[in-house]
Amino acid sequence: MAGIYIYSESKDLAAELVGFARGTGKPAILLTLDEKTAEELKNSGADKIILITGSSELIENYARTIADLLVKEGAELLAVGATARGRDLAARIAGYLDCAMASDVTAARFADGKLTTTRMLYGGAVQQSEALAGLSVITIPAGKFEPVNGETPVETIELAADNRVSLVETAPIVKQGADLVAAEKVVCVGMGMDKAEDMKIAQDLADAIGAVIACTRGIAEERHWLPVEQYIGISGAVIKPKLYISMGVSGQVQHVFGIRDAQIIVAVDTNEKAPVFKAADYGIVGDMYEVIPALTEALKK
Amino acid sequence: MPKIIACYKWVADEADIRIDADLSVDLSKAKGKISEYDRNAIEAAVQAAAAMGGQAVGLTFGTTKARQSLKDALSRGLEEAIYINTEEANEADGAATARALAAAIRKTEDVSLVICAEGASDTYQRQTAPRLGALLDLPVITSVTKMEISGNTLTAVRKLEDCLQTVKAQLPAVVAVLPEINGAPIPGLKAVLAAGKKPVTEFSSTDLGVDLKPKSQVTECKGYIMNRKNIILSEGDTADKVKALAAALRKEGVL
Repeated sequence: MAGIYIYSESKDLAAELVGFARGTGKPAILLTLDEKTAEELKNSGADKIILITGSSELIENYARTIADLLVKEGAELLAVGATARGRDLAARIAGYLDCAMASDVTAARFADGKLTTTRMLYGGAVQQSEALAGLSVITIPAGKFEPVNGETPVETIELAADNRVSLVETAPIVKQGADLVAAEKVVCVGMGMDKAEDMKIAQDLADAIGAVIACTRGIAEERHWLPVEQYIGISGAVIKPKLYISMGVSGQVQHVFGIRDAQIIVAVDTNEKAPVFKAADYGIVGDMYEVIPALTEALKK
Repeated sequence: MPKIIACYKWVADEADIRIDADLSVDLSKAKGKISEYDRNAIEAAVQAAAAMGGQAVGLTFGTTKARQSLKDALSRGLEEAIYINTEEANEADGAATARALAAAIRKTEDVSLVICAEGASDTYQRQTAPRLGALLDLPVITSVTKMEISGNTLTAVRKLEDCLQTVKAQLPAVVAVLPEINGAPIPGLKAVLAAGKKPVTEFSSTDLGVDLKPKSQVTECKGYIMNRKNIILSEGDTADKVKALAAALRKEGVL
């Protein structure tokens, strides 16, 4: 069946991608490797669910045979959820097809038989649109499209797996810090903080307003004051809290990428030329060691 | 001697990008740098070479500007570098980039491991390692936070959204490493001085016999400005500024 083929191991994201495909007016065909997901998505509004069976539990190992399937079926587009597994699978299929691919797109629309996608470059400083012709691949992050409803038949097909990469074991990620992505309020520490003991002023503010502590990449990877799960940015956590308050954060574009969906951004820094103030709703130019404890007191009341 | 190839990209420093009033993007003042994540890929190759008794080789695809990257890359512990020098790199997309890198890797003997970062700091497409694996028909492991090589077996820990996955593959293979895999130390003066004497192999696209036409066409490129209130309190004493901020946050209803 021609149309838009979809994969995400996240059932919510897969449902959103079906919403995207239906919005283009083209048939939506969902691929899944998991019977439970097929069951959960049977009211997702897709035209068909293809349940893949085979000798591997790693979806990436089916890249070549999925690429062959797309060609055989006359697919127009493969849309994959932008997760670690999804990006890997998508780019491998694009490699086998030697076709165009746009990663982590913020928008995708068809006009005159061509797909135009929009995505961010330079950590979000630049927005670029590209035209992709022919069978192409895109990855889409969560939260860009709305799911739809409608009954979907399931078809099972067997595909050959490339078992050169084999799974040894799976371990849950032991979260050392609080869940940043779900946090409503976030207090973020940057390299402007002098020493690890000073984290207390950030913690006091976080405690006063019920926020989660986060940091910039340098604090996690160079100074190791917080676990790497707690750093915000393009290669770290991308968050959307109601309130984000930073202290001693200069505001490099890679960091700002991670907070652009925050409702209100507050910055405290001594350097009034720091780029973080351009990204902020409210800012105080001043010494965080004076401002933050005073703010903590003011917000306690 | 087995070769471990570290792919890296010479990129414009995003801190120097200027967005003009009409949202056009001005890169003319931007200095170049080795993409930060690629510094971790280079260090991972240097460490893997030491563990395997192999040789770490840098590989870059760029325009004449990327020549400046060679000394920096070689000062980071690589023993030699391969430089694909072509103006076509300006227009290259993920497909063309992977084709160029794959062609240079095919010309290199005894490659046992290719290491990339997840993505480059300019485009951050995260396509290169999986595409290379497909083009070279090698096993691929991405999102690698830790790796160990024993004989011909590579065991890697992948950091995914919901779990840590340990996988293994036989070499040769392609991996994409996360920046947290190592510390990527800043090279010392001695290493910087020695870098100039290390060998560089240069290829043109004709040498590689590869078509570098991109599969996607850029239709628009403009600066992105976040629409924020930008109420910055810079004058007055701390107590007044804090009081004003606390009042504003209460009014916003975000507390």
